[in-house]
Amino acid sequence: MKVIASYSIKGGVGKTAASVNLAYASARAGNETLLIDLDPQGASSFYFRIGPGKKQKKGFFFNQKNRLLKNIRGSNYKHLDILPANLSFRNFDIMLSSMSKSRKRLKEMLALLEDEYDLVILDCPPNINLLSENVFNAADLILVPVIPTTLSERTYEQLIRFFDNNGYKKKKLRPFFSMAQSNNKLHRQTIKEMESRHPNFMKTIIEFSLEIERMGVHREPVLAYANKKSAAQAYRKLFNEVVSSLK
Amino acid sequence: MKLSKIRQSHYLLPDNMTKKNFLDTLGQEFIIKQVENTSEKIAILDSFEWALYEHRILAVRHDNQRISLWFDEEDILDPDEAHTIEDINARTRFWWQLPESPERDILKKLLDLRAMYPVYEGLLRTEQFNLMDNDGKILVFCQLLTIYRPENSRKAVFRMARLIPVTGYKTQNKQASELIKSLGGFMPRLSPIDSLLSALGVMPKPFNIKPQLDLDPQMSSREAASVIISIMIDKQRQTEPGIIKDIDTEFLHHYRVALRMVRAAVAQLKEVFPPNDVIELKQRFGALASETNRLRDLDVFILDKKRYMALLPPSLRDGLLPMFNDFEQSRTAEVRRIARWLASRAYKKEITELEERFKNNYSALETHWSEQPIINLAVTKIQKRYKKIQKAAAKITHDTPDQDIHNIRIACKKLRYLLYFFGSLFNKKQVKIAGRHLKALQNHLGIFNDLSVQAEFLENYLDETEHKSKKDIMLIASLGGLISSLHTMQLQERERCIDALAVFSNKENQRLFKETFVSEKTSKKDKGGRK
Repeated sequence: MKVIASYSIKGGVGKTAASVNLAYASARAGNETLLIDLDPQGASSFYFRIGPGKKQKKGFFFNQKNRLLKNIRGSNYKHLDILPANLSFRNFDIMLSSMSKSRKRLKEMLALLEDEYDLVILDCPPNINLLSENVFNAADLILVPVIPTTLSERTYEQLIRFFDNNGYKKKKLRPFFSMAQSNNKLHRQTIKEMESRHPNFMKTIIEFSLEIERMGVHREPVLAYANKKSAAQAYRKLFNEVVSSLK
Repeated sequence: MKLSKIRQSHYLLPDNMTKKNFLDTLGQEFIIKQVENTSEKIAILDSFEWALYEHRILAVRHDNQRISLWFDEEDILDPDEAHTIEDINARTRFWWQLPESPERDILKKLLDLRAMYPVYEGLLRTEQFNLMDNDGKILVFCQLLTIYRPENSRKAVFRMARLIPVTGYKTQNKQASELIKSLGGFMPRLSPIDSLLSALGVMPKPFNIKPQLDLDPQMSSREAASVIISIMIDKQRQTEPGIIKDIDTEFLHHYRVALRMVRAAVAQLKEVFPPNDVIELKQRFGALASETNRLRDLDVFILDKKRYMALLPPSLRDGLLPMFNDFEQSRTAEVRRIARWLASRAYKKEITELEERFKNNYSALETHWSEQPIINLAVTKIQKRYKKIQKAAAKITHDTPDQDIHNIRIACKKLRYLLYFFGSLFNKKQVKIAGRHLKALQNHLGIFNDLSVQAEFLENYLDETEHKSKKDIMLIASLGGLISSLHTMQLQERERCIDALAVFSNKENQRLFKETFVSEKTSKKDKGGRK
């Protein structure tokens, strides 16, 4: 079982779109896939037409396996399950800090799912806190969507520093350009510069696309309703790149 | 999810249920979206031995274009779970005709030389529905599978609904199940493959060429011999339709094996029949066997084509092709001849007459042995046969003529048949061990014999045909190469036979035979206790 995270300190950069479409691509390739919606806003769950789970008692997430499995929902697609967002996720941070070994709890919890899934995708909330640190420990690969602008560049470098200062493995970090506009000169320039400074950037670039924006209307992954469009092809390419980096 | 997946459920539906009924009923609780609706000609495939059925595998040929396999019978006919083999046609029967794939490898193991052929043909309609809530979230996957007879595409002979639960929606799955039950759907008591076949009126009758006997030790020897011969004639006759249709080469092979066992029973248990009858029976059964010799020789050669080619250096391989073309042509003619013969009135009259004679205890004058308990005859025969082999083995040296080794092979075969016939009279475990030792020896003797038969066949082929052209010179060269490598292999196998014989006749095996084949069923343990 491999774990990948879609993570960024900044919001609105295409984390959920990436999670949803990569999860779908993975399931289509025959992998038993679980998408965990860690974002209390529950956008991933919404895209899969799954309402927020029943209000859970605090701490359910970090309890035993059975209770965890009980909350998993099958999606409309074979091999793809969702652990829906729940408003109580908001309290993660507080909860985690009161636990021992609190930076490895998520990793331990995911180990319980070892026999159930081939791939787990974590859709993370935009933050840098104790939950994020749990994600850094649990994930084999951390995808970081980066909009090719100066501001995003600074945030990404902030993340690298955090990894350096706290002893996390930097090689897990795999940024990719998201919402890029090929007709925007500034975007093109930023891409060029960042790629030369950070050779760990994924080759695939996810362009800004109306198809992707329409996901909220369709409530389906782009790959499901616009399979042949360039946006879908880009996510498929990104998934293949992820798979080969995981090997 | 893999392990914690809730099992899907199956319901057999009443024949008179309409699709409208079905949709209306489920529609009470769900929004239904039909996502698939296909209709195709299907054939359920299996071998004569029902090898796939025995392994709980279902094979279905669709529209003569592809074969679907289901390895988990819970999934049968579910298009999403099928392992598919593409690029086939209506005539694809053998594993080696399939494109390379993991599925082919599995079939290779199960079928070996056997063909798969249709055991049922009909029309399959596959309909898939998503049962959803108002948000369009799928709560249960539902399949409706219907099979119609090919001649009447309205009357359903089999109708099954399958509910595939979605993780996390247990309640809704139960709801759907209750609705289907309200339509008269019920969960079958039989396993999915069995309920399918029984609905279609297909009765699997797995075939095994080895006789499964359970003789009463006190049965009269003649009656026992009659039972054995009857069973083998019955097996022989079961293979006839397959030979006539030329489904695969195993039918003829088994025909000959069954016939050989009949002849072995007549010859080896000759004491239970009047001497004149034995002469007559031997002659009549022998005549049947010799009709099939040529076809079997050709079959064996053609099946081994690849192996022969591999024995030669690449430059000589093509030289053999004209010979194999010859064989294949002769085979076609020979198959036709045998099919005509088996279907002829003369053959039918002959075989039924023979069959009738053994059906209810062979009636003839009593002989010295005919009324004695079979156990006594069995012990005498097996002990005598083993001692004979043991004696012959003691005389074998590296200079022994090949003929002597052939004779031992024949003696071993006789012993093997005696174990088939009478094994059930003795301690099962020990018979099994004795059988295993014998088998090990027979394997080597068999290879040794095959090599010499093949070399001889090739020499005859060389003698019989006129050879002039350059092509023929290549053939002669190839055959020369082949015959000499068969000879080398035979010399090597001879050594292995001699070693195996030494093992088979060693002290340990002598004791095993002495203790196993006795008039009273005893195990080693009991014996030890009494001492």
